[in-house]
Amino acid sequence: MGLLTILKKMKQKEKEVRLLMLGLDNAGKTTILKKFNGEDIDTISPTLGFNIKTLEHRGFKLNIWDVGGQKSLRSYWRNYFESTDALIWVVDSADRMRLNDCKKELHALLVEERLAGATLLVFANKQDLPGSLTAKEIREALDLDSIKTHHWLIQDCSAVTGDNLLNGMDWVVNDIASRIFTMD
Amino acid sequence: MSSNGNNHLQSAMDSNDDGIEDMDFSHGDHFEEEDLAMGASSKDSGFDSVIGHIEDIIMEESFQSTQNGFLEKYYTEFEDTEENKFCYTDIHKEYISLIETYLDSELKKRIPDFSMPEFSKQLQERRKELEGEIFEILLTFSDFMAFKEMLLDYKADKEGKTIDLSGGLTVMPVQEKLSLDGDSPFCVSGKSLHGP
Ligand SMILES: Nc1nc2c(ncn2[C@@H]2O[C@H](COP(=O)(O)OP(=O)(O)OP(=O)(O)O)[C@@H](O)[C@H]2O)c(=O)[nH]1
Ligand SMILES: [Mg+2]
Repeated sequence: MGLLTILKKMKQKEKEVRLLMLGLDNAGKTTILKKFNGEDIDTISPTLGFNIKTLEHRGFKLNIWDVGGQKSLRSYWRNYFESTDALIWVVDSADRMRLNDCKKELHALLVEERLAGATLLVFANKQDLPGSLTAKEIREALDLDSIKTHHWLIQDCSAVTGDNLLNGMDWVVNDIASRIFTMD
Repeated sequence: MSSNGNNHLQSAMDSNDDGIEDMDFSHGDHFEEEDLAMGASSKDSGFDSVIGHIEDIIMEESFQSTQNGFLEKYYTEFEDTEENKFCYTDIHKEYISLIETYLDSELKKRIPDFSMPEFSKQLQERRKELEGEIFEILLTFSDFMAFKEMLLDYKADKEGKTIDLSGGLTVMPVQEKLSLDGDSPFCVSGKSLHGP
């Protein structure tokens, strides 16, 4: 291992975490990211590469990586797995047509070795839309109860109103913190 | 929960909305031996001397020209937009590996029995006391946002635009021509140098 890699790994043990936000295109990942950052969310275009924001939350420095979700881009996701503390899987709760696709992509990530230690937060986003499925329905559709390999939580939310985004983040930070402290 | 909670989150995050990691400098803007001394006992001297060598290496012209060659090769790929292209990630990986290989081989030239595993053990033992610019600079090499900014600064320089130094630490070579007259072409700039 080279010097820079060593130093970087040492730094990551401090109160700094890396969150990887993935999900199908149009799920609302970039909207969530910008909402967290207090930015305007009216002019967001589909992501063709990736975005990064560094935010402070409860004494932690959160490095959030948001990677484009279009089908043709999903093969790039793997380049961002390394050192991920939590995977945030964003679901468009109103997109009933693609729930099966959504489930397959999620479960494919969960067997990835480089994501093995990561906490999983599922955001059941777009709860403000009439006809959106509840968190419970999404949980069943994605077969979350079969997941034994990762700590997980599903949180209903709306990136547009901001509802429950903080709840989800709090849980993620708590879960990572308890994991890191018990490991020490 | 109410949207107030989210506002709270936003305001907590407002202080750092530029997406760039704050660099915490505890020293001034010169490389001085005493800034980097890690302690006085004699068993520290091996560690300190490695650090000293690393400082020397990255200040030397040959490091600068290695880095410049890299910037020259890739700066046209970079665009000053918030969203990043996937190719930036590959370019950054290549950069990290270039710098690591360079440092490792230079250290082995200067310290015949240099061992990276041994040095990394020493780093681990001292992680609480690792302070000073040299560590910030080394961390900057592997920080993606700092890397992107370095490329964009280089590009702006090439294309004759003004360089915005307000974004935090930038390790940036000035124009190659200047590096011929013996001055260090290495320039470390950033608001955090001046403290709060
Ligand atoms: N009503 C509603 N619309 C939302 C919500 N979150 C996102 N959207 C909208 O959904 C669309 C897609 O949002 P993005 O944030 O671009 O989705 P993304 O997951 O980043 O998509 P890709 O970048 O293609 O992977 C936009 O038009 C958003 O305004 C939400 O909570 N409620
Ligand atoms: Mg997006």
